[in-house]
Amino acid sequence: MKIHNLFRQFWRRKPHPSPDVSSASMHQMHVALSMVAQTQAQELSCDEVYALLDIFADRVKRGEDAAALMPLVHQHLAMCPDCREEFEALLRAMEAK
Amino acid sequence: MSSRTDAEWCTELGGAAPDAALADLRGLLLRGLQFALVSYRVTENDLEDFVQDGLLKILHELSSYRGDARFTTWAHKVCVRVALTELRRRRWRDVSLDDLIVANEMSDFTPDVLMDHSADPGQTAPVQMMMATIQRIIAEELTERQRTAMMAVMQGGMPLQEVAERMGTNRNALYKLLHDARQRLQKRMMQGDDTPRTARNV
Repeated sequence: MKIHNLFRQFWRRKPHPSPDVSSASMHQMHVALSMVAQTQAQELSCDEVYALLDIFADRVKRGEDAAALMPLVHQHLAMCPDCREEFEALLRAMEAK
Repeated sequence: MSSRTDAEWCTELGGAAPDAALADLRGLLLRGLQFALVSYRVTENDLEDFVQDGLLKILHELSSYRGDARFTTWAHKVCVRVALTELRRRRWRDVSLDDLIVANEMSDFTPDVLMDHSADPGQTAPVQMMMATIQRIIAEELTERQRTAMMAVMQGGMPLQEVAERMGTNRNALYKLLHDARQRLQKRMMQGDDTPRTARNV
């Protein structure tokens, strides 16, 4: 079987497969391969995303489809754990009254 | 308190009598951080320090606020970055890249499932085949720096900020390094050619 078929087959699997093959590293590998699969030719840098993160968060809070409106930010958040952590923390901070 | 408009926040904080706005913003940021960092190990003193540093940064960067987002969202963003930067620094302070490599056997990506002899061979065989190919592609396509960065972030779970510091670079440049690595892997994997490069070149 060609490697690209295996690759596609692999990342189409659910992150948590059957208990027999479920493990933290399996999940880790799935995440890594998904990231490779979703890689775009042009991606924003962390600084560029930081500059837009508040706008993105406001749109999420307003119930807008932020991912569709700002796909490059959405894509970076899927790739970058640091920026994703900051985005998730920002959303929680905005919930506080 | 939070009934100020974005323009009013900016005017008051940048004006001659910012004390009331500062006190209100401080309270708002403190409540926000308490909520944002609820699952982190932070003390009240930590939160106070983060907010204090955040306020200084907000005042320093006030002129960069363009009004595209709500002012309070922008302020929370600045404060969250301050807090998480410090928390990551603390969390990973005593971990070197070498430690991470040893702890995660970073020389390969072999998942535990392949070491589990009770696993269904029908399921592990394709994974095993794929892993061998991925390891070869990683070895052939990526530079040493790309391999180190990829393993530290994806397998070791170290934040980009911390990996970048240890590799003598910055977060932006490290993201670019990882992006280039992902692009190379994607290109090679999607070629559908799993012949080793050395064999192809003969």
